[in-house]
Amino acid sequence: MEEKKQKNYDELFSFAEYSPEEAERSGYSDYSYWKAVFQSFLKKKTAVALSVIFLGLVIFSFVALAIGKYDYSSLIADTKLAFIQPNGEYWFGTDNLGRDYWCQVWFAAQTSIKLALIVALGECALGVTIGCIWGYVRSLDRFFTELYNLINNVPMIIYMTLIALLIGQSFLIMAISLIAFNWLTMARNVRNLVMMYRDREYNLASRCLGTSVGRILVKNIFPYLISVIILRLALSIPGTITLESTLSYLGLGLGIDTPSLGVLLRNARSYFLDYPYLLIFPAVIVSVITVTFYLIGNAFSDAADPRNHV
Amino acid sequence: MAKYTIKRLLQSFVTVLIVVTIVFLLLRLLPTDYYFTEDQLMKFTDQQKHDALEAAGLLDSPGKQLIRFYGQLLHFDFGQSRRIQNGVAVTKVIGSKFAVSMRLGMISLGIALVVGVTMGIIQARFKDKIPDHIGTAYTIFVNAVPGLVSYSLVLIFGSRVLGLPSMYSTRRVAESSILPIVCLAMTSIAFYALWTRRYMVDEINKDYIKLARVKGMSTKSIMVKHVLRNAFVPLAQYLPASLLLTISGSLLVEKFFSVPGMGPLLTDAIGRYDTNVVQTLVILYASLGIIGVFLGDVLMMLIDPRIKLVDDGGTR
Repeated sequence: MEEKKQKNYDELFSFAEYSPEEAERSGYSDYSYWKAVFQSFLKKKTAVALSVIFLGLVIFSFVALAIGKYDYSSLIADTKLAFIQPNGEYWFGTDNLGRDYWCQVWFAAQTSIKLALIVALGECALGVTIGCIWGYVRSLDRFFTELYNLINNVPMIIYMTLIALLIGQSFLIMAISLIAFNWLTMARNVRNLVMMYRDREYNLASRCLGTSVGRILVKNIFPYLISVIILRLALSIPGTITLESTLSYLGLGLGIDTPSLGVLLRNARSYFLDYPYLLIFPAVIVSVITVTFYLIGNAFSDAADPRNHV
Repeated sequence: MAKYTIKRLLQSFVTVLIVVTIVFLLLRLLPTDYYFTEDQLMKFTDQQKHDALEAAGLLDSPGKQLIRFYGQLLHFDFGQSRRIQNGVAVTKVIGSKFAVSMRLGMISLGIALVVGVTMGIIQARFKDKIPDHIGTAYTIFVNAVPGLVSYSLVLIFGSRVLGLPSMYSTRRVAESSILPIVCLAMTSIAFYALWTRRYMVDEINKDYIKLARVKGMSTKSIMVKHVLRNAFVPLAQYLPASLLLTISGSLLVEKFFSVPGMGPLLTDAIGRYDTNVVQTLVILYASLGIIGVFLGDVLMMLIDPRIKLVDDGGTR
């Protein structure tokens, strides 16, 4: 009896192998999501140019440190050499303690970019994972909403001050604490989107056919989220650089021994009226980074929206 | 409406209570040495410190302290400042500062509304033409470049080219307020311009505007009577909150120009462990924020009669 049933089953159903002609007939296309994304991104001339500028800047920051006449780790404070205007020896001049400004500026730029990238990726991983669970599992919605309200309603500056006082100030602490706050926004965005798409007909159909939850999230819902995630990711980079500079300026960010653009600007605050070059070099670099990323992010998120692919 | 208001205020009350409880408990994490001024720390023996802490009830368990704190709140007793101004009532400390922040905030908000909304209208009117591109460049610049950098640029320009004072001073209030106000307004202008433009552009593409055009209404009256009024509704939501939160001042701008306002008070208070000041400020900010959002909803309802906060059992 069993055998007969099995035999019937084999006769009734068989796997279809992929064949191009058959696929052509039923309207299969070789549409690849990422290919389409990059194609439409590459069509935007300004966005491509900006990406080149950004990459160039990152690469140049390494070159700049290598070709600079002074090494960051061996800088010595010497007040006799303070406030030398930019010249052949000190390309960006020297600061109030007579240290070469060129290597400080580029080192700081690297620190800021590194921090921003780490925070952006960490925030994205944590935020998307929690956002998906938050949006998809109804019974957890209440819990996460309350958690969100709790963290979000206390002014962040209180947390940051307490962290700085209790735990200390370092690159790692800063990165972790920024991730610990930033995932909230990302998770909330993702959650709203997941809730929108969760009960659409195509997902209902998919569920009826027995698709697993993981597959529904990754294959059915995720493509709709990508453009939003990328936009948040790209905006988070200028955001982190801004926040870092503000916190460092207030003395709550990175320690003084870890130069970031915020620390440099804080040190320069008392002097840059008389020595504008102390402000201009870090300011120009930080602005180039943030503005390019802001624009690249906007362009890429347009390209990543599947509704814009024809 | 009354029922809705009461319900909403109760909810907000619970939120504020939870927030202040968290802050209260967090603050108890700090070591007790922070309770004393440097002077006291030098002079006091351990026994004296212990006595002082005990007298102030700071050695009780956090739970006990919390209950006492709630009791004080019921009497609107916010306690005294410990280190910012030793022994002065917290309400007085705040009272002496908030007027400064509020004045700067109100003026800059006024400027931002007029300039920002006008800019947004012009951008929407000349979409994809030169004025629009200039406006977009401005908003991108302000949004992307860190505040610290743009404030520094304003400071250099203002004090070198225009000869304005670079620090706030109580003797030359009017002159020295100009640069902080410009910095404050700069950010808000970008915000209002960006969203006015966005909402107006969305509105212009709607069918009823096309109909109005077909009927032969002038562009000007379409823009003012229909587009702007509808586009302003979502913006109205933010107005009361930003108006109320001018009290809290801007941390960065006030620190940058040494304005003796509310902005740096919070970080100062935390840094110097002035718990009563921190708690009061948190209650104040949280309540202002929540009331602001509520008033925003009410304002939105007044401008756009279609929006109803209470479900009157009509459609759906």
